[in-house]
Amino acid sequence: MPSTKLHQAKVLLHRPAGRGYYRLVLLAPALAAAAAPGHFVMLRVSANLDPLLARPFGISSVISKKSIELYYRVAGRGTTLLTTVEPGQMLDLLGPLGNGFPVPDKAATPLLVAGGSGFPPLLYFAARYGKQARLFVGSRDKDCLPPAAVMKDLRSRTKAVHYATEDGSRGTCGFVTDTLAGYLARSSRGGTPVIYACGPHAMLASVSRLAAEHSIPCYVSMEERMACGLGVCMGCSVSMKAGGYKRVCKEGPVFDAKDIMWSDSMPVRFTR
Amino acid sequence: MRNKKSEIRNSQSAMIAPDLSVDFAGIKLKNPVLTASGTFGYGEEFADIIDLNRLGGVIVKGISLRPISGNPPPRIWETPSGMLNAIGLENPGVDVFLRDKLTFLRSYDTAVLVNIFGYSLEEYVGVAERLDGIPGVSGLEVNISCPNVKAGGIVFGTNLKAAFELLSAVRKATRLPVIAKLSPNVTDITEFAKVARDAGCDGLSLINTLLGMAIDIRSRKPRLANCTGGLSGPAIRPVAVRMVWQAAQAVDLPVIGMGGIMTYEDALEFILAGASAVAVGTANFINPRATVDIIRDLETFLTQEGIGSVKELVGQVRVK
Repeated sequence: MPSTKLHQAKVLLHRPAGRGYYRLVLLAPALAAAAAPGHFVMLRVSANLDPLLARPFGISSVISKKSIELYYRVAGRGTTLLTTVEPGQMLDLLGPLGNGFPVPDKAATPLLVAGGSGFPPLLYFAARYGKQARLFVGSRDKDCLPPAAVMKDLRSRTKAVHYATEDGSRGTCGFVTDTLAGYLARSSRGGTPVIYACGPHAMLASVSRLAAEHSIPCYVSMEERMACGLGVCMGCSVSMKAGGYKRVCKEGPVFDAKDIMWSDSMPVRFTR
Repeated sequence: MRNKKSEIRNSQSAMIAPDLSVDFAGIKLKNPVLTASGTFGYGEEFADIIDLNRLGGVIVKGISLRPISGNPPPRIWETPSGMLNAIGLENPGVDVFLRDKLTFLRSYDTAVLVNIFGYSLEEYVGVAERLDGIPGVSGLEVNISCPNVKAGGIVFGTNLKAAFELLSAVRKATRLPVIAKLSPNVTDITEFAKVARDAGCDGLSLINTLLGMAIDIRSRKPRLANCTGGLSGPAIRPVAVRMVWQAAQAVDLPVIGMGGIMTYEDALEFILAGASAVAVGTANFINPRATVDIIRDLETFLTQEGIGSVKELVGQVRVK
């Protein structure tokens, strides 16, 4: 269950994980016990006033029911500062926040679609419900894929992994949505697919379109600039098809893709 | 001998619990720390983190006559020691507020001040009338200063004549204490403080956010979909302290001071500048415990300094 609780978390492990990512393990038993795939945390990268705001991070794993694991990539001043944090340090942590992925039906074939640095919540999902899952992972080139250790983990936890890189340096040359489209077009695929996606906005929009074409349920984990994570700043709102807005931090970050008003003007990259 | 002395000191400090209570325009506050409108929702989200009974009061997110869905995203952007926002006063409207939100807040022992706004004078008056005589509402904070809605808000807050007419009309529409929330986006804040006084307001609240803008140099687009937004956070604090000081000098109305308060030291700056109460805003986003931490630290400070009541400090800045 999500909960807006404030925790003092001890840094247990923090080191580069390869391909530009860092792996951060934080001791926070109460938070870890309440977490589920798709949940995120708000982490204050320092006690200073600049940068001012806490940053949202998707939980990638719960370790020994006591710690949570985060993967992040340096993408702005906050994450640059975060790289200097050392084991033993205490950090302010809020969470677990938001609504996670719905638990898949036993008969379902989860199709996990991870683009760019959107893999962490899907890593957590795969660990829980990955047995029948197929993973579609995409990035600009092979050096931008999730870290090798993560890929190894993902391969062992899922039924199959389909790669796509924009330059063709690994797997299919093209977008992750191209591989997904190819798979969905195959008549032999069988099963009852359900899509779970996390990645850049444009990718989520294409995945959502594909899901609609094939009448497949699709859940997307959205990203938006966020100040509080609590549901009070109203900064992280996304447009809904039914009109109005919903908060990524409270009603999301996981939404049913058909409820989102997809637009092309959304920012492609976020600094953090 | 030394032991005895320290014993006396300890027993004295234990005896003198400082008085944090404040009477603000007839509203009894158990301490001078409130939550700034738009940074605390209607209190629900904080109930699991802090004891809402500890708060001097809650100034709820702005309420209008009808629901408002707000501005398109992106709505916020972080700046050095601050943030820009252009939420667009998203709120569920006064009916939902009264039915769902106030019931919750009323169950706590804290003053509830309702921030109100509209797109026309009639809408402001309409909300004020709906809230008149409602049990659990201690006062109205009239937002004449939101920089993010084109038709209302700041139009009233930056024009002396419009501000006077609006505040006078709201004053007539309710028996509740009326507090005018002033815009800092004016050349002379004292003119607006005087207008609020002349319109019959019972108090002032300042400052709202400073109008700002940020641009993505690669896409050449504004960072906010609304182009401009309101700047808040520690970055604006010196401006806010100055304006509170000027307004408090200019009129004989009590002031709620706000703008980038993160700690009790910040709160004390506002109080010394002339604020009878303070509101904590952006700090709630970063440290959801900010309000109760400030109340605790304020009490400790007064005890250590041997100051009997926080009221003794209001406006006590030594200019000369």
